[in-house]
Amino acid sequence: MENYKSNFKELPEPIKQFGGLIGIMIIIFITFFVLNKMFGEGDELVAKMKIEEERIAQERKLNKLISSLPSGILVSFDGTDHFKLSDELYEAVCKATKLIPQRAIMGANFLNFRAHEIYTINGNKIDETFVKWDKEKNKCFAGFVVSGNNVGVDETISVSGEALSFLSTGIDTRVYFIKNF
Amino acid sequence: MELFKKYPKLFQWIFLLIVFFALCFAIDVPETYKFIRGQAEFVKDPNQSTFVFLGKEVRYYAFDVFWRLPPLLGWLPIWINDSLFFLMNDWMPMEFWNEDTQEYKTRPLVLQITRNLTAFMTFLIELIREILLGGLETIVAFTSWDWIDANPWAELPGLPWTIVAAGSAILAYKLGGRGLAIFAGLAMTYISIFGQWKPSMQTLSFILVAAPLSFIFGLSLGIAAFKSKRVEKALYPILLVMQTMPQYAVLVPALVLFGVGDHAAVIITMIVAVPPMILLTLLGLRAVPPEVIEAGRMSGCNNWQLMFKVLIPTARRDILIGVNQVIMVCFSMAVISAFIGAKGLGFNLLLALNQLNIGLALEAGLCISLIAILLDKMSLAWANKQVDYFGNLNFFQRNKNSLFFGLIMIVGIALAYFGSIYFKEYNYLFEVPHNKGISTADFWNKGVDWIFDTFFVYIKAFNTWLIVEVLQPMRALYLRMPAIATIVLVVGAGYLIGGIRSALVVCGLTLFIALSPWWDRALVTTYMATFGVIVSCIIGFTVGTLCFQNKHSTKFMLNVCDIFQTFPSFVYLIPVMMLFGITDTSVLIAVIVYATIPATRYTIEGLRSVPSGLHDAATMSGVTKFQRLFKIEFPLAFPHMMLGLNQTIVFALFMVIIGAFIGTEDLGQYILKALSDKKGAGIGLTLGICVAFIGLIFDNLIRTWVDKRKKHLGID
Repeated sequence: MENYKSNFKELPEPIKQFGGLIGIMIIIFITFFVLNKMFGEGDELVAKMKIEEERIAQERKLNKLISSLPSGILVSFDGTDHFKLSDELYEAVCKATKLIPQRAIMGANFLNFRAHEIYTINGNKIDETFVKWDKEKNKCFAGFVVSGNNVGVDETISVSGEALSFLSTGIDTRVYFIKNF
Repeated sequence: MELFKKYPKLFQWIFLLIVFFALCFAIDVPETYKFIRGQAEFVKDPNQSTFVFLGKEVRYYAFDVFWRLPPLLGWLPIWINDSLFFLMNDWMPMEFWNEDTQEYKTRPLVLQITRNLTAFMTFLIELIREILLGGLETIVAFTSWDWIDANPWAELPGLPWTIVAAGSAILAYKLGGRGLAIFAGLAMTYISIFGQWKPSMQTLSFILVAAPLSFIFGLSLGIAAFKSKRVEKALYPILLVMQTMPQYAVLVPALVLFGVGDHAAVIITMIVAVPPMILLTLLGLRAVPPEVIEAGRMSGCNNWQLMFKVLIPTARRDILIGVNQVIMVCFSMAVISAFIGAKGLGFNLLLALNQLNIGLALEAGLCISLIAILLDKMSLAWANKQVDYFGNLNFFQRNKNSLFFGLIMIVGIALAYFGSIYFKEYNYLFEVPHNKGISTADFWNKGVDWIFDTFFVYIKAFNTWLIVEVLQPMRALYLRMPAIATIVLVVGAGYLIGGIRSALVVCGLTLFIALSPWWDRALVTTYMATFGVIVSCIIGFTVGTLCFQNKHSTKFMLNVCDIFQTFPSFVYLIPVMMLFGITDTSVLIAVIVYATIPATRYTIEGLRSVPSGLHDAATMSGVTKFQRLFKIEFPLAFPHMMLGLNQTIVFALFMVIIGAFIGTEDLGQYILKALSDKKGAGIGLTLGICVAFIGLIFDNLIRTWVDKRKKHLGID
């Protein structure tokens, strides 16, 4: 060891400096390798991001479709003067719709007294809303969850039904009528 | 091998560059990398990874670490915000007496201190503003609204512009002679008749509070640092960072602490203006010859007397140059602090730039520049003025300036009284209202329109060429650098220039930026600054060298540099916006103009520092002018010129950050965004530190190289 040390000391200054430079580079490489093991997410991220990009593309497509729809009420059944959605459009609108306005909630609550009670007692608070496309039934389902304290009892009630009509604002679509009977 | 022995450094540099480029080519750009999805966007995205540190969740896009390091310091801005919030809202609540409600109120200590401080600052600003412009807030502060209603005579009337203008001329005459007096008189008259009196006095009142306070704090801290090594060591890193910290960045945390308005602006200005004062005080006190100190001690001075009767008077010149620097920083801040609601010319300038009313901006900018030049010249004249201790003067000679001023007061008041009778609507002999003066705004605006109409095709072609052919490829090259390659290059350069110590310092500074969430933005800032520095250096070195060939042109160029240096940095944006509109080209041209000043100045001063004996020796040896320049003057002046490069980099960085106002996509843009963000304090401060560190990396490398080179040449 002593021998190596004295040999190193005897080396000319430029060689020592060059060795130092290489040493620093090696330290940097090793540090990066260690950090890459700990934090690097190269391939998984590529896969994740591709899925995300597909989702964004799909959403854009739906948004484009929605902006082409007429403003007003869109229905999935015959017999009204409102715009009748084709099967394809019905599915697309269902997938693009995220909002359930109070009107639709109040309508659904009309047939669910307990949900209506909790909804009223807790200051019209809604925990969660959902709009889902049911592949098996080929139908759009929408619903909401209300929870709260009803005369000393904590209750959670989920109300859901078929979304039969939507309201198109020109910018987005909202569930207009939930058939929960 | 022989070549390697002969040029070892050259080979080491070549090796470093080969490794750098090899890394750049070996590491591919990740498929998912998009500049717009920078780490700093702070949007929630399911693709982000997260980590929790000190209870703070940090979201980021996890790339291959060789490409971009994870933002392991991402918690820092959040932590700063939370700490500030805690300090201001929760820490040490105490009972404080409230004068308005006449009852005790619970308030956190820091909030109470900052509110008291801001109230004090507001009072000082109002006091000076009302002396200059009139008002009643100061009197009300000591009495009450009822009292002032009953005694309307007590309202401060303000000073007529004629008295202020003549007073400045007398002061300028006393300090610098007839030339400066004429300039002072003309500048003040111009400001008045162009209707900029009120905003100018508002700016002046802000400076008259900020500058003396900065002077007192700077001088005290400078003395403390001179007396105690510990204080000096504690201050050193702060001073170092503050020298390269963009002034913008200081605004954001101060906004949280002190709120919006003139008072906050004064405090921020003090924070920025105190460091140069400390440095110059320290420099001056250190330069006092030991014989002088010894003579003081021999005369029986105690420590207090030695400091105030011997050291400070001997270091007077450096200290007064510190005052000059303080005033210049105050002017620069007068514009920048308009962002946080400071009134005055800066606010008008900002408003005009915002409305793209170039004519109005030019008028306000010209007024700021005129006052800045005037105060710069006056403070320098004060610094260089020799005190005549032996003059045998009579009463009139001793007090002639005061007597003249007294006379002018009487004349000014008489004129204002006459004006109140003669003018029906506005008393122009008292104050020319803001919108009633002469205005050249329309002329300039039409000029801008004409320039656009006439040269639009050429300007657009130049703009497109510069952006497409030069700037975009350069930006892409910088963003294409993998993190590991950049760190290898910077640390390797540090090692080759200054050894392991320098390598560690630059490594620490670079890592801070690389581990912050803004590495990509920092690369854009560096690319813009690099472009500006390269062009500025080419222009500055060429112009400096050419001007140095003749002593008249040297003097002229140094004067031009002096004047340009006094312009607040924001003013540079006006002419470029006139010509190039809101583009990156405008920012870069402003950067080039601003950064060319130190490049030119240091080239001239570097060439001047070559001993005249060497010139003579060279001439005697029969060398041509060209040979003398390249074989003797350049090699000897090069270390000094490199210090100019250092300053050029700092100037360029400052201007790039200010350029965010026009719309760049670098760190400055995020600082600007942080200004309007409720939780922006931490982000603003961290971004400011990042910019300061970019400057410090270059500063460390250049200074180390210069010191070594000077030692090698035997200059120092």
